[in-house]
Amino acid sequence: MFKRKDLLMISGIIILFAIGLVGFFIFSAPYGDGLEKTMEEAEVEESEPVYQAPLDYGDNYALALSMGCIGFAITLFAIYIVSWLLRKSDAPQQH
Amino acid sequence: MHIPDGLMEPTIFAIGWFIAILVLGVATKAVNKRVDKRQIPLMATLAAGIFVAQMLNFPIGGGTTGHLVGAALAAILVGPYAGVLIITVILIIQCLLFGDGGITTLGLNIFNMAIIGCFVGWYVYKAFPKKYEIAGIFTASWMAVFIGSFACAIELAASHGISGGAYGITASISIPMMLIYHTVIGIGEAIITTGVITYIAHLSPEMLKIPKIMLRGVSEEASVNV
Repeated sequence: MFKRKDLLMISGIIILFAIGLVGFFIFSAPYGDGLEKTMEEAEVEESEPVYQAPLDYGDNYALALSMGCIGFAITLFAIYIVSWLLRKSDAPQQH
Repeated sequence: MHIPDGLMEPTIFAIGWFIAILVLGVATKAVNKRVDKRQIPLMATLAAGIFVAQMLNFPIGGGTTGHLVGAALAAILVGPYAGVLIITVILIIQCLLFGDGGITTLGLNIFNMAIIGCFVGWYVYKAFPKKYEIAGIFTASWMAVFIGSFACAIELAASHGISGGAYGITASISIPMMLIYHTVIGIGEAIITTGVITYIAHLSPEMLKIPKIMLRGVSEEASVNV
């Protein structure tokens, strides 16, 4: 299970994310990434998605922070489950 | 660099799915029954950290932004096969829950970011002598993004060529634009990756000594001389 050190690291990441999100909304929020800018240069419009996701990252600080925390928790849980399923057996290996 | 639905020609995204499933099968087989219990909290925390870091786009000038991919970071810390699985799970969550990247193009996104990112990151990092390890981490993370974006540009150009312009972007725009933007975005990736690994080396050096799972056996070597 998670030790105190891991919990401190998790708290540290969430705090850094909350701070980093301020910078994101000040400097980056209205702009696209490299692929989006390339699409813009080529005058290619993004089409309707085939699958409609239930959530989005949010367009204001509070919502983005909440969505980040939800995504963080889901990813943490998902990888925990995947790596637990792929873990080494406790039993000594036969040679 | 998350490719949305409707941008790629179906043959191209089908090839992406085929390669992604094949490599994920190999990665799962390599990692299966070999994850040390000590690795589980690190892998989970690393993945969750990469997820939120990917939300934080940084400006690169000219009204363009970039974000951490984290593939080289994951590969250097836990090995390329576990790294591929971590980045793939992140991409699946982003696609299915947050609509970041298309569902038809998920295979290509896994190929460009998880597979190319982790293997390029790992092998470039390992190519550097221990003496120049920090330079190795910097170069590996930059190249992981650059080569991934080059693959994406080729896929866009191939889609355009196959479909006669109905999908994708012509090579004369996709290749130079993707490479120019990701040359700069890769520098951001390299600064963050090098910073995080150097910080971990000072804060918790034992984390870097965790064995990295390879196809056969494990690499016991620590990331960064600690």
